[in-house]
Parts: sequence; structure tokens; C-alpha cells
Amino acid sequence: MKAKKIEKKGKTVKAVKAAKAVKADKKERILKELKSIVGEKNATTDQHILYAYSYDMSFVTPKLPDYVVIVHTVEEVQKILKVANKEKIPVVPYTSGTNIGGLCIPERGGMILDFKKMNKIVKLDPEALYAVIEPGVSHGQLADALYKYNLRFGWPVGPPSASVASCAICHGIGHMNARYGLNSQEITSMEVVLPTGELVRVGSCAINPDAWHSCLPMPQMDGLFKGWLGSTGIVTKLGIAVHHIPPILKIFTVSCDNVDDMYSYMLNLSNYEICDDLTAVSWWLSQVPIPYPYKPKPDDAPEWFSYATTFSFTEKEKEARTEVWEKVVDEEKKKGTSIQVTHYPEEALKARTQLPSQIVGSTKNYCKMAGGGISWPGTFTPANRWAPIYKEWRKIMIGHNLSPAVRMSMYRGVHYGMLRAMTPFNKQSAKETENARQAIVECLKVDLDNGGMPYKPPVDFSTEINKRAHPGYLMLMRRLKKFLDPNDIMNPGKLGI
Amino acid sequence: MKWNIPNLKELEDILWRCTACGTCKEAYEYGPPSVSSPICPAGEEFGFEGFLSSRGKIAFARGILSGDLGWNEALIDAIYKCNVCGGCQSQCELDHKPFIPEIIEAMRRKIVADGVGPMPKQKVIAQSLNSYDNPYQGPRRVRLDWTRPFKKQGKPIKNILEEPAPILYYVGCTGGYNVPVRVVPQATASIFNKLGLDFGILGESEICCGSTAMRLGDVGAFQRVAESNLELFRKLHDEKGLKTIVTSCAGCYRAFMKDYPMAEEYDRMMEGIRVIHTSQFLYDLYMSGQLKFTESLPWKVTYHDPCHAGRHLTKFIIDKDGTQLWAGAYVKLDDKDCLYDIPRQLLKAIPGIDLREMRRIKANSYCCGGGGGVMTGYNDWAARNAGIRIQEGMETGADQMVSICPFCHYNLNQGSQGIGSKMKLYDLTELIDKVLPEKVS
Repeated sequence: MKAKKIEKKGKTVKAVKAAKAVKADKKERILKELKSIVGEKNATTDQHILYAYSYDMSFVTPKLPDYVVIVHTVEEVQKILKVANKEKIPVVPYTSGTNIGGLCIPERGGMILDFKKMNKIVKLDPEALYAVIEPGVSHGQLADALYKYNLRFGWPVGPPSASVASCAICHGIGHMNARYGLNSQEITSMEVVLPTGELVRVGSCAINPDAWHSCLPMPQMDGLFKGWLGSTGIVTKLGIAVHHIPPILKIFTVSCDNVDDMYSYMLNLSNYEICDDLTAVSWWLSQVPIPYPYKPKPDDAPEWFSYATTFSFTEKEKEARTEVWEKVVDEEKKKGTSIQVTHYPEEALKARTQLPSQIVGSTKNYCKMAGGGISWPGTFTPANRWAPIYKEWRKIMIGHNLSPAVRMSMYRGVHYGMLRAMTPFNKQSAKETENARQAIVECLKVDLDNGGMPYKPPVDFSTEINKRAHPGYLMLMRRLKKFLDPNDIMNPGKLGI
Repeated sequence: MKWNIPNLKELEDILWRCTACGTCKEAYEYGPPSVSSPICPAGEEFGFEGFLSSRGKIAFARGILSGDLGWNEALIDAIYKCNVCGGCQSQCELDHKPFIPEIIEAMRRKIVADGVGPMPKQKVIAQSLNSYDNPYQGPRRVRLDWTRPFKKQGKPIKNILEEPAPILYYVGCTGGYNVPVRVVPQATASIFNKLGLDFGILGESEICCGSTAMRLGDVGAFQRVAESNLELFRKLHDEKGLKTIVTSCAGCYRAFMKDYPMAEEYDRMMEGIRVIHTSQFLYDLYMSGQLKFTESLPWKVTYHDPCHAGRHLTKFIIDKDGTQLWAGAYVKLDDKDCLYDIPRQLLKAIPGIDLREMRRIKANSYCCGGGGGVMTGYNDWAARNAGIRIQEGMETGADQMVSICPFCHYNLNQGSQGIGSKMKLYDLTELIDKVLPEKVS
């Protein structure tokens, strides 16, 4: 069925798209089988429930699943996947649906497996500094539990209700990426149900069921399930490293007139590895919210702001970090750059450093002004390409009457990091949504051609990635996918292969 | 009387301000230390997106307006499986935040207008309102049963229709008809008597405030009783010297404070009349020295914030003309009318009281599960949810729970029985009445 379009008040609103219809008798039979596994109340084909799972914040066209199933146990997950595999029914794992790449929108219908009730913190070892969590554990829930031991994890710029496991296995970032890297680099072990229903473990827990401390030194088979967008299996338990919260927070903030000067400062500072988070944002992203549609930056405002978050255990440690930072600022000024110590806009700083946060988590500072929609070209890009890419993105975004609300974050001192442009749009309008999609995809192409890689990519991005991919990469990917998921039931269509 | 009650279509642009980010799904405070808890009773019970928080309800609203969702029993049932407690609203930061309960109730108004709802058990409420002017199918004479002890003691309560009084104690239907909850008006009237206040009641002539009808989307039934009440209040002011309406019902209070002002003639009808909740009224007397506690009550208690006397009274500052942020922007909130601190201060003022706070309080209070027509439509679920709240209360180490809402009173006591707990829900007035000496000088 093609997308239904409804004309209203001069706007066009695209209604939800249904996948190829499943025959009524088959649907009824499958539903009965699902209910026999999870209980009468936990599986449905009710249209209004399917509808609630059909869209997210992104520009991705809403699509309906055929079934929604709430699971509570690993055994239920195994049984359901066996049914799905036998019947060749697509399965989309879902925790809270808060990604902005349409990752849980079912491309080919099938079954949404909702994990929000599988939300136990199975183990928390404050001495060995790791936790074992189920997929439904939210950032808010984990932060609450960890605070009791003065511990923390990498909290992303997302709502407190978002899933820790989903973020980590999709290579999401946290607020400590300059110190510890991506949240996926914090994964210590995994329990996974394969698309065929078999239960596997990778990392130390594979050898000793109570040891969840490390994926190394064994072959890193956790890679079979990270960055695959839920298309190779379902992670039912995840070990993650957690860290102490040093008591002294010091945030260093600077601004400058151009992206080249900001890159120079970030590169210099990241060499010393003193920051938990080393991030810069363009003027448009420093605004609360991002201006929509585009509005010019005031002439006297800096184009870039940076916050460098540092945590120290003692005053002396803080002073040492301060000494390093002052040295870097001094060096940058001597180079003749426009770097200035500055006051970062207060609400934006609070939203970005007090995480998990409802302020930024509700995307208040992202898309509040536009209404309804937000997406991005979100990438991992070599830091030395940030400046030229930003200059291209700026032209593209302004050309589409959108704010170039760009963020650059250094990852673990390795001189590559996140480059992304948060792009709000009015989701009520199909025209404005398509305008944003086009701008984002154009930006993505520029990034890919400069060596960047998108993360949590919507299908439009995957297509662009694969166009450029080495044939051996695609062949290996297809083989692995076929090996793990012979009937292509897991989140099919998302990888663009 | 003209009313400005929006229909779903009129709210369409507003509900598209929702990003579906899901912040509404979880009660959260940054702290530090941060605190995170479930906030949506329907989400806890039924699980599926759609049931869960405002994100889910707005999905239904979008589907109804786009034509993707047509009325059927399951959808209507899902729309009524919501307490309209506003817990999700407390979490949201977007421009539709001020309108979240309104969006849910607008769906219900459409259901009623289209003749497909409310749910069968809830239809009884509308029928009862038409027949008896109360939602309990109670004959009018029964409304006065709670006053019998006062008659027996030779202290009959004045009928304000017959004798002038500056204070009207508006009892509310739950206090009047729901037998286990009659202790609330009894304690309230006892306190008023002890304080020597000149107050009256409407007796058998009191009619429902209309809150239940409004929550169910029966706007016609609401308007009928609301208009009747507004006209009566005006008349009592003009002819009987009415200056203050005191109510101990959070639902009535919410209706008078938030629903009645949607009548264009509200200001004229209510000029010179103040509406106040019992807790605020007694707090003012306590602060002025007229209410003094001399006896001790050595109880360990916890306090439950009712939705209707708490977060439902939040005022939202909206940039209507675009001069502050942009047209229609939610700017900030003003919670000074929310009865969060006043009941707690009164409780703490009672000698011997040891107040223990639950995890979810004030704007993040976890609904008892009775509101939004759920106690009528889905009584088992309402009681189960109340059991969850009682359990949370017990985890504080408190022996009893205190609140200021007759609806919560009934439902939480039901919930307590359901889980075999010894914890009881008391109205704040019951505690005050216990420690107030018979004659206050």
C-alpha cells in the first residue's frame, strides 16, 4: 500500500505506510502462537498499538509492524525468534525508540519486540567496576542505581528513558568519550539470542557465567553484534564498565570566530588527555533551541564555542588540569588564532554537562522551535577533516534554510571524533521534512567523501555508505549476516545490503 | 454560558510539537544524585507504547486526526485506560507540555461527541449525573448521611441556602456518598466546629462539580452542572453573604480552579468569591495563630500528593504573541498554586508526627490510579496501582499514609487491602481533628 496523503491547511501530511499485508488467517495463527509464549496481554495486532510504533523523531517514513510483542525473559525471546525464523517474519528489537535514525521503524513489517519490561540491573559490582544490564534498563534507571555507589557511565545527550544497551551496541556516545571512548568501547561481555533462537555468549561470561569483566583477550566476537543495528541478534544481557565520579568538576570554555581556530585548539588540548568530554558547537547549536528556520548569527557573536569537561579527585589534580588548559589557550593565542576564554550560554552548558538531562533529553534545545522532527548527519570523522566538512555543511544547511547546528567531539585523544549537525524540522509538514532529509543526505555525502562514517544510520545513509564500500567489506558483511541470520529476519533492510 | 473548551482538531498543531522523544516515560530528577522511577500507571500495567505516557497518547491523537485510526472498541478502551494524572506532563519540556491532559481529554470528548463512548461502566456516571446530580447513583437525601453524628451531638450543620454564612463547605460527591470516605467531611466539619467558624453546606441541594464528567469527555454533562453551580455560587454571594468556598476534594478543587475558568462568564460569576482547598484554608488559620495543636500524635507517616491538588494546578507560561521566544512557545511553569508544601508543613506542625518522604513526590508523585475515570471503568487495575503506591509508602518505614483527596483516600485504602498491608490512608483533616482540642479559644 502506498503512503496515504492527506491535504490540510495547505500542508501535506504523510500518513503511515503499511507493509505487504499478512493474510488474516496467518496473522491470527501467529498471534495465537506469540500469546502462548508471552501471555495474552503481551502480544497484539491492534492497529492503534502498531501505529504507536510506526514513527519516531526522524525523517524516516512511518511504517507499521504487523505484531508488537512485549518480552520479559530470555526464554521468551528465544522461543519468539524460533517462531519468527521458522515463519520468516521480520523482527525489530525495540527498547524506547528514541534514536533519530528510524532504526526501529520496521522496513518490512513483521514483529516489534519491545524490551522495556526486560529492565533488570542483573549485577552491579562496585569493586570490579562493571554492571550487567538487560536491554530495557534506561539511562535514568542506571544513573539512579550507580549514584548509590558514586559511580557513573557515559550518559548520552538523550532522554533519561533511553536504553543504555541500545545506545552502547549502536556505538552511541556518552559524556566521557574523550576519556573512555564510545559507549560501545565500555562493553565487557554479552549474552545474545541469535536470529535462529540459539543463546550465545561472548566475552568473559562465555567461559565463566559469573565473569562479565572483559571482552578481551578472546576473539572480539562482540563485534558481531555492535554497529549492526539489531540485524544480527538480540543482546539480552550486556556487561558494561562503570567508573567512579571524581568530586571536583571544572569546565573550561572558550570561543572563537572560525572552525579552523577551534580545530587547532581542540587538537592541541586533546593531546594532553585531561578531559572527560572535549566538545565544540557552532553558534546555532549553542542556542536554546536551535533556530528554525535558519537565522543568521549576529555579527559580533563567536561562531564556535567549546566546553571541556574535567573531573578531578583533588584540588591539586584540578590545578594541574587547569595549568595544562591555560598553557594550551596561551599557545593558541600566540599562534594568532581567535580563541578567547568565554562564558558559555548557561542553559546550554547545563543541558550538556548535567546528564542524563531532561532539558537536552527532551531535545528542547534541539527541535523545540521547529516542532516534531529531528535528524542528523551523525558521523565519526577524522578531526583534520572537520573544518573543511563544516564549511561545506554550512553552505548546504543554509541553502536549505536550516541552521548549521554542528557539534565536534574528540574521542579518547585519537584525533577523530564525532561530527554531526542536529537538524530540526517541522514534522507536520511533509515538504519541510523532505527538505531536511535532502540537506542531511547531502551533508552525509560530503562527510563520506572526506573519510567520515555515519553512526546509527538510517537506510538512506546505509545506501550511500555501501556505494562507496570496498567490495570485500560488503561481501564479508553479507556472509556474516547470512551466517547469523539465514532467513534475513532481523531488522531487515536497515543495512542497505 | 459560553465555554472555551478545545476540541481535538483545534489542538492539532499543538500535538505536532511532540517529538516522540520519550522523556515523558520516566520520572526523573537530575539531582545529583539523580532519581528515576516509572511515572505512568497505564504504562506500568499495559506496557505497550500507546498506553505509555503522553508520547503514546499523542500517537493515538495523530492517528485519529490523520484518519489512520478509526474508532473501534480496543482504541476507545486504550484512550480510557489513562488516569490523566499529568505525571508525563511533568517530565516534558516541549511546547505541547501545557496541553497534555487537554489533548487526552479532547480525544475523549471526541469519543463522546461521536457517540462511541465512554466505556460501558463509565456510562453509568453520565446517567447518574442526569438522574441524581452525582456520579454515585445516590439519592439526594443520602448526601447528608455523613452529618448524622453532628445531629446526634446536637450540633447540626447549617444549610447555607437557609441561613447566611460567609463560608460554604462544598463537600463533593465522594465525601458525601462513598461510605468509607465520609470520615473526610466529618473531620473537616468537626475542625470547623472546634474553630467556631461560621460555615454552611448545601445539604441535599449540593450537586456534582462535574469533574468526573469532564475527565471522561462528557462535556455536556459537565457544563450543565458547572453552570448550575456557578449560578448558585453567585446567588449565594449576593443573597447569603458567601465569600469563601472550601472544599476537601481535590477533584472538585481542580474543577473549580482549572475547568470552570473555561467559562467566559467565570470572572463575573465568581467575583468576590474565593475557592480554597481545606489544607490551604487550615494552613492560613495555622499561620495566623487561630489553629493550634496542643496534643501529640506519635505517628510515622508518609504523604501522597494527589494529582488534582498537586501538579494539575500548575500554571504554564506560554508566549502567545511571540515576544519572548516564539508564538506558542512554552516558556516556564509556575507551581505556586500546587499544594505540595502546605500539607507537609501542616503535617510537620502536628506534635509527634514523623514524616517520611517517598521516592516519587510533588510533581513526580505516582498517581494512586483512581483518577481519569479509571476507578469506575477499571476498578481492579485502580486498586492494583494503589497497591504499588502503598508499597512505596511502606518502603519509607511509615506506618500510615496521609493525603488530601477523598478519591485517593478510597482507592489507596482499597489498594492497601489488596496487598494485605496494614497501612491506611488518612486524610490530613483526620489527623488534625485528632489533635485539635474540643474548644479552641
